[in-house]
Amino acid sequence: MRGKMTEVLDNIKSDFYDTYLSIKFELRKHYRRNRIQMAVVLALFLASVFYVVPTLWNMGLADTAEEFASTNLSFVNLLIIISGALFAGDVVSSEFENQTGLILFPTPQNHNSIFVGKYIASAMVTLSVVTIYYTVTAIEIQYIYGLFGIATEFIKSYLFSILYMFGAISLIFFFSSILKRSITSTLLGFFSLMMIFPIFEAVLTMVEVEPWFLLSYYEGFITDVLDGVVSTGFGPRSREFAAGFAPDFYHGIYVILGYTIFLFILGLYFANKRRME
Amino acid sequence: MNKTSDNGNAIRVENLVKKFGDLTALKGVSFKVKKGDIVGYLGPNGAGKTTTIKLLTNLLSPTFGKVYINGINVNKNPQKALSYVGSLIEVPGIYGYLTPNELMTHFGKVYRMSSERITKRIKKVLSTVRLGDWEHKKIEEFSTGMKRRLAIGMALLPEPEILILDEPVMGLDPKGIKEIRELINKLGEKEITIFLSSHLLQEVSLTCNKVIFLFEGEIVAYDDVEKILEAPEHKRISVEFLNPLSKDEIDSLRSLKPIGKVKVEGNEAKIDNGGEKRHMHKILSLLVEEGLEVVSFNYEKKDLEDLYISLAGENE
Repeated sequence: MRGKMTEVLDNIKSDFYDTYLSIKFELRKHYRRNRIQMAVVLALFLASVFYVVPTLWNMGLADTAEEFASTNLSFVNLLIIISGALFAGDVVSSEFENQTGLILFPTPQNHNSIFVGKYIASAMVTLSVVTIYYTVTAIEIQYIYGLFGIATEFIKSYLFSILYMFGAISLIFFFSSILKRSITSTLLGFFSLMMIFPIFEAVLTMVEVEPWFLLSYYEGFITDVLDGVVSTGFGPRSREFAAGFAPDFYHGIYVILGYTIFLFILGLYFANKRRME
Repeated sequence: MNKTSDNGNAIRVENLVKKFGDLTALKGVSFKVKKGDIVGYLGPNGAGKTTTIKLLTNLLSPTFGKVYINGINVNKNPQKALSYVGSLIEVPGIYGYLTPNELMTHFGKVYRMSSERITKRIKKVLSTVRLGDWEHKKIEEFSTGMKRRLAIGMALLPEPEILILDEPVMGLDPKGIKEIRELINKLGEKEITIFLSSHLLQEVSLTCNKVIFLFEGEIVAYDDVEKILEAPEHKRISVEFLNPLSKDEIDSLRSLKPIGKVKVEGNEAKIDNGGEKRHMHKILSLLVEEGLEVVSFNYEKKDLEDLYISLAGENE
């Protein structure tokens, strides 16, 4: 009994170590392909452009910290989708398409650990990129207006964006697990959140059906949590589609959690089921 | 050597069946590979060699049957089973943006090697596969042959007890082929079990001590290379005639008993079933009686290629 218990514990320990190795390997791969560098530059560019451009052209900045934050943070969604597609879009499909799985899989590494590691690495990099974006925005707000007045809402927006990021990564990871070609899984991941879901939202709203089950329906909370300030529409898309309905914040949390957990498990299942035929 | 025992078997395959939709790639394949053996797995393209190897390395799941590595069921406990195995399968994609050092360091950790041992082994293995100067260069700069050698090096990295190689010399130049052959022979001396698939029969005869012939998903022969080549039915007579044989002469040659299959090319004939010495005199007399102008009459062993063709032919 004791021996069996020790064996189980050893296996768990070994699986955790395999996951750690997989995360480390994925991060190295992302770095060597310059993907991390590209995402960081994009985050720095997007976060600073709202301060740098108006300042250089003497256009005048937003009147309040809330407005400035709302405009700036309306691009977080775009950043999450781009990073998600970049880091999770081909994470499983490429191993099969490029035949790298012939090296990666016939080893004593738990396949579940490999895929979990891939997911975590994608989430870690995307989280870092989002964090950089929020940090730069926070510095700008502090410099121009003082952050103290909107600190709580700002943190709330940050936490919500992290939650949304996990939902998006799970969706893209799922596509990567079921699709054969990397380019297809990456593009589908990107366009599903950028276009396909929003189009569904618009159509459903038109026929007066609340699209509560769509992940993108709740993306507006990233800016809306800034105490009633509504996105100015500078972002990838405005919130006009859903004008007839008001998404519920807590309901949104549950739906995004559902996407995160369900699609992650489903993606893991399909990734494990795939074989190098 | 590990303590796991399976009656001295490094690999044991039991009634392996693999179906892809309507296609049955393997039709109940069973064999055992003893520890320390170098086994060649021969067959034409599409015979099921790579499918078997993918089943041995858990890249595929069998439709039916079982695969054991050192007595451990590969499908039930792949992590443990594959900890004894180094493999090279088909033409693997190699992460071109990484360097051999980065790649091998990761896989060394996967095999639970210490950092110190990984560093030593990387140097040793890269030098063995003639990539010593390329340790820190990006793999995308490598030629096809270099990538192949790197893949072989990766299989050798953890000093596995069992080496599974799928067409190891594919894409290599003659010098590279010779080096890999010598490397395999050297590994064989260290009592590493090697299971290698190939359609290059000459390579197998030079490196392996046992051979399995696979044809259309079925094993048609499995024995020691020497035993197979020495078997009387695998010997033949090579006859040279003064002039190329006419059709009538070929027909009369084929009708002679105890002559078996006859392959005629120009003024030469290869006669099967002639390996048995008691038949040789009789055959020679019959040829002379038929008025065929015999210039030379030799007894020879079939090479693996001829043997394979005849074995495959019997199953068609």
